Amino acid sequence: MVVKCEDVWREISNYFDGDLDPAPKQALEEHLAQCAHCQSVRDGMRNVVELYGDKAMFHLPARFHPRLRERLADQVEGRRVSRRAWLVSVGVTGALAASAVLAAALDHFVPLPLSEMSQPAQRLPQHLVAIVDGGKTFHVPGCPFMHGKYHMVTPEEAVREGYSPCTRCMYEALRSAGNVTPDFKGEETVSIETEAQ
Amino acid sequence: MQNRDRSEAEVAIAPRSDPAQEHEAVLIGRIRGGETELFYELIRPYERRVFVIAFTILRNEEDAEDTAQEAFLKAFKHLAQFRSESRFSTWLIQVAINEARLRQRKSHLEIMRPIEDKENEDGSYTPHDFTDWREIPSEALERKEIREKLVAALASLAQKYREVFVLRDVEHMSIEDTAEALGISVGAVKTRLLRARLMLRDLLSPGLEGIWASHSQIPKGTKPWS
Repeated sequence: MVVKCEDVWREISNYFDGDLDPAPKQALEEHLAQCAHCQSVRDGMRNVVELYGDKAMFHLPARFHPRLRERLADQVEGRRVSRRAWLVSVGVTGALAASAVLAAALDHFVPLPLSEMSQPAQRLPQHLVAIVDGGKTFHVPGCPFMHGKYHMVTPEEAVREGYSPCTRCMYEALRSAGNVTPDFKGEETVSIETEAQ
Repeated sequence: MQNRDRSEAEVAIAPRSDPAQEHEAVLIGRIRGGETELFYELIRPYERRVFVIAFTILRNEEDAEDTAQEAFLKAFKHLAQFRSESRFSTWLIQVAINEARLRQRKSHLEIMRPIEDKENEDGSYTPHDFTDWREIPSEALERKEIREKLVAALASLAQKYREVFVLRDVEHMSIEDTAEALGISVGAVKTRLLRARLMLRDLLSPGLEGIWASHSQIPKGTKPWS
């Protein structure tokens, strides 16, 4: 079987794909062995296939995967959060985190009293207190004067946020002067539904 | 001229089998049954493939990423339409190709197609005769500028060649799967693949120093080394 250069150029791709029968394959290889031009075509094509087939050739953009997850989340996870809402939530979370850092820093800041008269009128309790969003006073959990959902904060946080002690329950607690053992586990800050009494 | 007896050089570019196909069938069943979060696991092996085919068509990274996301989203929404006679990966690539072509039409990118698109792909192609052919070693791919040049060379080909070449030689899909994904015959895949390989060989054969020096098909003013 006589093979010309044109035959090689027409079949060289099939040769690489293993798509030639033994006889034409052998004839093609015999031609290649003595034709420099066709050798350069073969070697050049092999180089092309090896280079582009290398995993290092194409890379996914940085953060492709997390952006894809974010895009799919609504449908795949059944969430109904728009991209804008997601951005807002990220912003709010960041702001809250910043507030927490600031609050932690402020915890270490104790302003000097201007005089004896500037001492607090009453001591703050040593345990967490309960506040209701939108309320004005902080309480011992179970105080009958507290209505709605409450969550636990430190007394210092309550004061910083503008809450003042409940004149009923806190009076009793402070009157005990450190002997107060309110019936709550003051570690959580979860919201708890209470009934108005 | 079919032959299963492959030489060493042939094996290097042979399509890879898909050992995970049965696992994918199980995953798809569970996703359809309501375990939708398994979709992430299902598509994880194909994220790169979908992006690369979108990038190949659109030639723009941002558009390609957005298109890839849309394709995955559509695949999830229409997973019920997937028929198990074909591979999930092939079906997914079809979705991605359709999405990329749709975006291409919307952005009127088709008017920028290289003139080779109008060529008759059945016509013979005479490869250039390089007397001092020099191989580009795979290690060169570590250099970003080399990868960019290779990407630019590929981008200079007509779309029908790019699509076939990328599915077959970059993503190692079989000739048959490539044909199915593109909706063309096996013969057309082979013809286009031959042409694409020869044209890229002509573009790259002068080696790293002379790359595209005399046979560039890249439009004036967009030469990748500038």
